[in-house]
Amino acid sequence: MVLSLRGVTRVHGSGPTAVRALAGVDLDVRLGELVAVMGSSGSGKSTLLNIAGGLDGPTDGAVTLAGDELHALDLKARARLRRRSVGYVFQDFNLIPALTAAENAALPRELDGISGRTARREARAALREVGVEALADRFPDEMSGGQQQRVAIARALVGPRRLVLADEPTGALDSATGEDIMRVLRARIDAGAAGLLVTHEPRFAAWADRTIFLRDGVVVDGTGTRGGPESLLAGTRR
Amino acid sequence: MSVRQGMLALLAEQPMHAYQLRQQFEHRTGGTWPLNMGQVSTTLDRLVRDGLVEPLAEQGDEPAFYRATATGRDELARWWATPVERTSPARDELSIKLALAVTAPGVDVTALVQAQRTETMRALVDLTRLKADIPAAGPAPDDLAWSLVLDNLVFAAEAEVRWLNHVEARVARAVRTAGVAPASTETRTEAHR
Repeated sequence: MVLSLRGVTRVHGSGPTAVRALAGVDLDVRLGELVAVMGSSGSGKSTLLNIAGGLDGPTDGAVTLAGDELHALDLKARARLRRRSVGYVFQDFNLIPALTAAENAALPRELDGISGRTARREARAALREVGVEALADRFPDEMSGGQQQRVAIARALVGPRRLVLADEPTGALDSATGEDIMRVLRARIDAGAAGLLVTHEPRFAAWADRTIFLRDGVVVDGTGTRGGPESLLAGTRR
Repeated sequence: MSVRQGMLALLAEQPMHAYQLRQQFEHRTGGTWPLNMGQVSTTLDRLVRDGLVEPLAEQGDEPAFYRATATGRDELARWWATPVERTSPARDELSIKLALAVTAPGVDVTALVQAQRTETMRALVDLTRLKADIPAAGPAPDDLAWSLVLDNLVFAAEAEVRWLNHVEARVARAVRTAGVAPASTETRTEAHR
């Protein structure tokens, strides 16, 4: 199990103004699995993502990341585990403009304290995994949005990182490019990673293995797939 | 109407016999709308009756071939150039069901919405898996046609999930702000008296 949440509750503030952002959420994400999270504004999606990545802690319940319970660790160990296990992908790509694609992808490894040469080699491998190795020496402003987001996925999963937390990764892209990004993310996860995807677009959530719906901090329903796609269309040719 | 125009479009490309026509129609639309031979024959008869299609001279035991006439080609050109009318909404079971559910006693609308969303989302996942099998870069023309039909179904399923999210939020808001409980409690009944 790459990520596990048990009875996770998060209350912001206290007393009469307290807001319960999450209430008793259980969630498991395995290697090779992509889980989508949907819900309206204020339903708890961002809080869930922040808690899954260790950026925020639960008021109650437990978060286990790569086998370690996050809040049983001291701050330093928690930061190290978080840094080495989790990568983020955002709507606006968040690449550093002054660094090339390869340098952007190598940066997390350099911050891990890995030698420059090893970091660069791992960055190239990460770029290759998402099909943009040929763009390694380009700067962000020399790439399209879809290409930048591929680099961001490479950076999120560079080196030993196995969990990608993606917050509306298709939000700034047109529909066809958004679909390309979901194909890349899906393939990257199938090749040996795990992902939690927050999106408000059901057709992108449909690339996940499961979708959970949050309302007022509670998981109200979730979907897996039942039967095969063949059950869906009367007479497909596949 | 679309079967008639679709068959006319195929016959404008090249002469075909009824069985070929059926095969081509299904092939080009990814088998999403299968036709039976009875439908094909009836539609062909009507196209011939209306002067849009004509049979070619039969040769021995060969099945009869048909082709589009000049009138048929004009009709087809008009079809390509005219948007599909969207003035009268299609009768949709889910819309009818929900419209009745919010006012009917004893129906838990929230549960209904969540169960439907689960079902529609499953369908969307299944469609997406079919799409995932088609290479994204430079699909062959046949794959492109099939992929666009799938896209249509994907967007329709997505629209339904979005609408269900919207219904869920509106029902929740109605309950919060007005004490209206569409899950058919006494409050709802009182509010409407």
